[in-house]
Amino acid sequence: MAFLEVRDLVVAYGAIQAVRGVSFDVEQGQIVSLIGSNGAGKTTTLRTLSGLLRPVSGTISFDGEQIQKQPAHSILSRGMAHSPEGRRLFARMTVEENLRLGAYTRKDEEGIAKDMQRVYDLFPVLGERRGNKAGLFSGGEQQMLAIGRALMSRPKLLMLDEPSMGLSPIMTQLIFDTVKELRSEGTTVLLVEQNALAALGLSDRAYVIDLGRTTLSGTGHELLADPRVQEAYLGEGVGAE
Amino acid sequence: MSTTIDPPVATTAPPVQHTGRFGAVLNAVAPFAKIGMIVGGVLSVLGAFLPWVTFVLNEGAYPERASLNMFVEPFGVSGFRLHITLLGIAAIVIALLTVPAKHRIVRGLGIGVAAVALLNGIWITVEGGGLGAITAADGTIAFGAIVALIGGLVTVLAATSGGLEARPEWEWELPWWVEWILLLVIFALVLLLVAEVLTSGGQGGVVNPYAGVVFLSLLAALSGALSALSASGLLTWVGVVSERHRVFSVVVLLLCALALPFTGAGTEYWMTVASNIGVYAATAIGLNIVVGLAGLLDLGYVAFLGIGAFTAANLSGAAASAVGIHLPFLLVMVISAVVAGIFGAIVGSPTLRVRGDYLAIVTLAFGEIFVRSAQNNIAGLTGGANAIPNIPPVGVGGFQFNDSITIGALRLPSGVMYYVAIVLLVAFVMLVFGNLKNSRLGRAWIAIREDEDAASAMGIRTGPIKILAFLIGAMLAGLAGAFFAHKTAVVAYDSFRFLESVTLLAAVILGGMGTIPGAVLGASILFVLPEKLREFADYRLLLFGLALILIMRFRPQGIIADKHRKAELADDDPEDVAREGPGALPTEVK
Repeated sequence: MAFLEVRDLVVAYGAIQAVRGVSFDVEQGQIVSLIGSNGAGKTTTLRTLSGLLRPVSGTISFDGEQIQKQPAHSILSRGMAHSPEGRRLFARMTVEENLRLGAYTRKDEEGIAKDMQRVYDLFPVLGERRGNKAGLFSGGEQQMLAIGRALMSRPKLLMLDEPSMGLSPIMTQLIFDTVKELRSEGTTVLLVEQNALAALGLSDRAYVIDLGRTTLSGTGHELLADPRVQEAYLGEGVGAE
Repeated sequence: MSTTIDPPVATTAPPVQHTGRFGAVLNAVAPFAKIGMIVGGVLSVLGAFLPWVTFVLNEGAYPERASLNMFVEPFGVSGFRLHITLLGIAAIVIALLTVPAKHRIVRGLGIGVAAVALLNGIWITVEGGGLGAITAADGTIAFGAIVALIGGLVTVLAATSGGLEARPEWEWELPWWVEWILLLVIFALVLLLVAEVLTSGGQGGVVNPYAGVVFLSLLAALSGALSALSASGLLTWVGVVSERHRVFSVVVLLLCALALPFTGAGTEYWMTVASNIGVYAATAIGLNIVVGLAGLLDLGYVAFLGIGAFTAANLSGAAASAVGIHLPFLLVMVISAVVAGIFGAIVGSPTLRVRGDYLAIVTLAFGEIFVRSAQNNIAGLTGGANAIPNIPPVGVGGFQFNDSITIGALRLPSGVMYYVAIVLLVAFVMLVFGNLKNSRLGRAWIAIREDEDAASAMGIRTGPIKILAFLIGAMLAGLAGAFFAHKTAVVAYDSFRFLESVTLLAAVILGGMGTIPGAVLGASILFVLPEKLREFADYRLLLFGLALILIMRFRPQGIIADKHRKAELADDDPEDVAREGPGALPTEVK
């Protein structure tokens, strides 16, 4: 059984089905991407995984346990952290206060302090400006803080929703380099991206979600080479890197 | 012992380019800023000494209302001329000196002068029938009010044109005992000031039509002086010093509060007013948890005060109560708090499903249900229109709380014990609030207020934590309610109407959401004003509304701002932008 196993997930907002049958696996220590166009159901899937939404049907099992009926806080304390779309920082709080809230479910002060230092090591700019308000930061710095905040719960699985949204290519590269670094340290990453090119390049495995269903899957490089993916998500001829 | 005193670098102000609507005017005036400030100050002082009304008493066929004898002598009853003189002289002196943030300080003083002149001028006009009205001797017009108003406005204009500096930050550190003495003196002055403000103008009512205007005039003068002090950075510095000696400051402040009966406010009437302020301050702090910390709008909050009061009334042994038992006061307080808390949790439970405006409507409905039920004497518990009268005073042994106390030659008025009790109660409520705000629970509330979805992604159990905000807030109001029942001896449904809820909410917003001193200050202002403005009962709400609009326009973060809220509104306030950096909203893409 995979580390995270999603089977036939169906999620609806009232009468509208946003996710109509998503299934995928995430193995421990991998970076797995969900790619797809706007409105395909990627964010809804992620929000359901982290317990912010209830699925209509389908199962989610994490680390051998079914979690689709668990509330958000208990999923988080099992080791799944979610950095939401649009970053959703507490803009009027300082970097440090944001990180502290990321560690809300933990009570080991020593470990929290250590992890906070680890975030500052990972993103030195956050350490330099730890007393500043998050809202005053640039988009890239805010994304760093959003990832740092999610890491503060010491997750086994880190879920990132559109980390490259609105960032310059250089900043996107920096964020994705960090994601690779996290993988090398043993954190499993589930990535949701519209920037398919960048996401597939670093993914061990990837799934294409279209109209609420998983339609294709493969390793990152297989999908990069797939003509259907090239046509739909990469634009002509870009994929042959 | 070495003490370093580092005054902030005196910035030689470069010529400021003003933009915006009045930019052209300000730029034109700028070269004359210094002269302008001096001229404004001189005009203000001059205005204070000119006659403000030309009629002298009722020596003839005058309207009776024209007996505004307070405006006859230069420094009559109200002292407003003294205030204008002092503010004016201060403006002149500071204009001539080299001090940091000079223009900002002078602007504060000018605003004070203009406000006092305008207020008194309007009052004379309305009450006396015109500026200068009519006299027996002649029909000349009295220019005092106009000259002082112009003086104030000139001062403000000149100071603004000179360019408003950022508030200086003082980093003086004195030996600890000097700071202790300094704090002691400052807090003692604050006590005297509070007593002065409370009693200024005397008891409002038909016999004393001056009460309202004298009180407001003093408030206007004080806000001018305080905004000047705040501009000089000294207030912030005192704040920093008291933060350094936190425990000492808290103890001294508590002692100062307890010393109020020894000042001019030590009469039965003022003790009652102060106790009522205390009740509303405690309730406002409770509401501050719900609204200020957790960000949940509650429009029916006063119902919890009512529930506490009726619970206490029924357990007091009053003849009209449905439950014929009499329990000790402390136990009654606990029971009232618990009952109010239970209702709080019930009202809070819709927060699981509805948000924002819809929640406000649910709480509004709850408030109405409470008042209607109380009016209809539900289950015989509220006395309906007859209320529950004759609630016995709190007694300890043979001593009744409404007795007067004689210690040696010192005789304290009756009601002092209630005042002491409410001070302790408010202190307790503050302690609860302060500890909660900085606790894990407090952080969770603030996170929910800022972004509920993000908060739940952090693993915060938003549902139970929101209900807890309602529960704790309601308990604090219930405590205050139990006190209220015994102090006023009558609990009637009409003390807990929608208007009271709105006033409490206004107190929280006015004072500054999420801060303790803010809630206390807001409650004090909003519940003293009606006492003072009895003569203007018809216009009271109008004045109230105007004051609220003005404050929200010019200081949206409230009088005492919370640091998180301040950031949100920074864009509106140039000073805050200077301190916080350009724009506090999330900056776009790098």
